[in-house]
Amino acid sequence: MTRATDDVIIRTVARVLIPFIQLFALYVIMHGHHSPGGGFQGGVILGASFILYLLTHGLEEAKARMSEAKAGLFSSFGLLIYSGIGLLCLIMGSNYLDYGKLSGILKVIPAQARSLGILGVEIGVGIAVMAVMFSIFFDITTGGDIPKDEEDLGEGDG
Amino acid sequence: MDRFFLWLGMGLFALVLLCLYRASFGPGVLNRIAGICAIGTKTLVILLLMGFIYNRVEMFIDISMVYALLNFIGTITVAKYLEMKGEV
Repeated sequence: MTRATDDVIIRTVARVLIPFIQLFALYVIMHGHHSPGGGFQGGVILGASFILYLLTHGLEEAKARMSEAKAGLFSSFGLLIYSGIGLLCLIMGSNYLDYGKLSGILKVIPAQARSLGILGVEIGVGIAVMAVMFSIFFDITTGGDIPKDEEDLGEGDG
Repeated sequence: MDRFFLWLGMGLFALVLLCLYRASFGPGVLNRIAGICAIGTKTLVILLLMGFIYNRVEMFIDISMVYALLNFIGTITVAKYLEMKGEV
């Protein structure tokens, strides 16, 4: 069980560093089709920032920010964005994840529609990967035994 | 200049091999952690040198920044594990 560290250096460094890690993760996601990176890599960096928060501030504070139920919701939401854009292309009369036909909805030329479509898919992948990375680390940290206050997990959230 | 960067990278690679020896055979856990951290920083510099050789520094800076961040988090994780185990 990971408890909060009482070392002021670690806490301060993590508090200063986590916003920059998240900003860099967003840059990697948004800039993924011009430079190395993309949805998965940006999601991993975003998940690493949450893992750093859990390591330095302990399990209880991390659960207030990002609980197991929230991680499950986020992973499903990211997958919904990904498959939703794919199905939207299918509905518009094109192949699955063929963004050219999205130009009718977005009111842009097909080349721009392709760029925006891959951006949306990468945002979805990034959210899903971030939530799954955090969920895996959460499960490893708790060792599978869920604390008492989390036993009614996910009932309210559906 | 490319040749200079190439030889510099090869020298760093030799140092990485020495650190790898310490990380795999080193007595105790602390020697292994020190070896792994040294490998991480050297890999970062080697990535930047590769960027200079290929004339694409702006691309390799992204990769090396991610490498530095993940290396930092990995070190924190191993230190946390040692703190939980009480081996230090």
